[in-house]
Amino acid sequence: MTSAGGFIRAIESGSKHLVMKRFTFRYPEQKLKFVGDGYQFDPKKGVGIAGYRGRHILFHDKCTGCQLCAIACEGIAEAIGMVKVDESWKHNKKAIMPQIDYGKCVFCGLCVDACPFYALFMTNDYELSAFTKEHLIYTPGQLAIKPKYQGDVEIVIDDRGATHG
Amino acid sequence: MTSLEDKFEESKKLGLQIVRETEDDRLMTLSVGPQHPGSGHFRFTIKVDGDYIVYCDPDPGYVHRGEEKMCEYRNVIQNIPHLERPVIHDSNNITYSYSLAIEELVGIEVPRRGQYIRALASELNRQVYTLYWLAIYGIFLGHSTMFMWPTGDRELFIDLLEALTGARVTHAFNIPGGVRNDIPDGFKDRCVRQVRYFQKRLKEYEDIFYNMPLFRQRTEGVAVLSKEDAVKLGVAGSVVRASGIPYDIRKAEPYDIYNEIDFKVQYMKTGDCFARSYVPFLDMKESCYIIEQLLDKMPQSGEVRAKLQPNPKGPPGEAYRRVESGRGALGYYVVSDGTPKPYRVKISVGSFRNMLALPYLLVGQKLADMPAVYWSLNYWPVEADR
Repeated sequence: MTSAGGFIRAIESGSKHLVMKRFTFRYPEQKLKFVGDGYQFDPKKGVGIAGYRGRHILFHDKCTGCQLCAIACEGIAEAIGMVKVDESWKHNKKAIMPQIDYGKCVFCGLCVDACPFYALFMTNDYELSAFTKEHLIYTPGQLAIKPKYQGDVEIVIDDRGATHG
Repeated sequence: MTSLEDKFEESKKLGLQIVRETEDDRLMTLSVGPQHPGSGHFRFTIKVDGDYIVYCDPDPGYVHRGEEKMCEYRNVIQNIPHLERPVIHDSNNITYSYSLAIEELVGIEVPRRGQYIRALASELNRQVYTLYWLAIYGIFLGHSTMFMWPTGDRELFIDLLEALTGARVTHAFNIPGGVRNDIPDGFKDRCVRQVRYFQKRLKEYEDIFYNMPLFRQRTEGVAVLSKEDAVKLGVAGSVVRASGIPYDIRKAEPYDIYNEIDFKVQYMKTGDCFARSYVPFLDMKESCYIIEQLLDKMPQSGEVRAKLQPNPKGPPGEAYRRVESGRGALGYYVVSDGTPKPYRVKISVGSFRNMLALPYLLVGQKLADMPAVYWSLNYWPVEADR
C-alpha cells in the first residue's frame, strides 16, 4: 500500500465515527441491566444460577447460624463475622447470623456456594460507598433488606455501530 | 582544521585542566519506572550512548505478593480468588490451569458442558486482555484513538462475562470440577451478535493502526528476534509466534475440548516489533471463530460442575498442567501431601520468560523505540512477580 493511501484510509475510518452514536452512557441517571436478581446457588444440584455478584441478601427465616459462610470466607477475605441477633427462631437456637464487612469482601460469592439452606444470596446492588469504615459493615438487619435496583441500559447494535440503550 | 587531539595539547600548554572523555563518561544511565504509568510497576535501568541504548538491566519484583506461599495456607477452593489477582483482566485463564492441575490430583472428571463453558469464558477473557494490551500499546506510541477504541470495545466482552460469571473483571468462575454456574438464557444470541460486531471493528483497527504508514515505519524492522534466538531465550506466546514458530499450547497439548475445535495457529516470520504487535491481533481474529464454534458445538444441556467435597483432597502426588493464556504458556505445578491444602504451588508464567528477551532486544535500539519494544513483548509485570 502506498503511503498516501494508508493515511487516507486511516482518516476515513476515523472520521466515520463523527456521525456515530456515543458508546458510553450517563451513569447515575442510567444504569446497566443485569441478568436475573443476582448470583444464587442451588445446594441440591450443587451448581450456581447466573447473576450479578453484588451486595448479599440474608433470609432470616432460613439462616440456621451454622457459620459455614464464615468458614468459607476465612481464607479468602475474612469479611464475614457471626454476631448475636435479637430474634428467636426455632432453627437458629444460638441466634447468630453473618455480618459482612464490605471493606474486606472481594465479591467472589464462595460464601453463597457454601450455604446449604438457601439463606444467603447476592443481589444486583453495587453502590456501597460510605463515609466511614464502620458504615461498610452490614449487620444481619441491613443484609435482610432487598435492594431497589433499576437498570435498563443494554448494548444495542445496529448499522450505525454499538451504543448503550 | 584542528583535531580534538590538537585542542587537547593546546589547552595543556595554556595551563587549562580538561578532563579527558573516557568511554564510560560518554554513557548516561537512565532509570525507567517503577512509577511510570506505562511500565506498570516494573523498573529497568538503561545506559544510552547518545540516542542509542547500549545496556539494559531489568529489575522486576516491585509487585511481588507471595502468591505461591499464600496457596500453602488455604484449601484448594479458597485459593481461587487470590490466584486471579496477578492478572485480573485475564482471570479465567490464570485459574484455568490451576483447576486442571487440581482436577488431576484429586481425580475429578469434568462434565462436557462444563468444559465447553470453561473454554468459552477463557476465550472471552483472552479478548479482554488483548484489547487492554492493545490500548496501552496504542497510547505508548502516541496514538490516542487506539487507546480509546479497544478500551470501548473491551466493554462488549466485559458485558458478556458479566452476564456469564457475575463479575466484570475478577470472575472466580473456574473451579476444580468445572464452572460455578450454567450460561444464562439468551446468552448465545447476545454473544454471537456482539462477536460479529467486533469482527467488523477489527477491520477498522487495521485501517487506523496496523496499516497506517506512521505505525509501520516505527515498528517494521525494529528489534528483530530471530527464530534461533527466540528458541534459545525461551520466550512464550505471541513473541515466539512472531519469530516464526507456530507454537500454541491449545494445539501442542490440547486441554479440555480444544482438540475438537478447528482453528489455525497464527504466526509471522519477521520477528520484528510489527510482527509482535500484529500476532495478538491475529489471535483476536482467530478467537472470534473459536467462540462461535464453542457456542455451536456445546451440548444443549447437562451438568456443568462435578460434585465435590467441601474440602477436596487427593492422594499425595504432583501435577503440572498448562494452558495458553494471553501472554503465552501459563502452567501450575502443584504438589499435594494428602491434606486439603497444597504442599507447594509453583506458577510458571509467560510474562517472565518474555521479559528475559528485553535486555537482548533493547541493546542497539534508539531510546525513542524503547516503549514500542518493551510493550510489544506482551509482558505483564504483576504476573511475572507473582
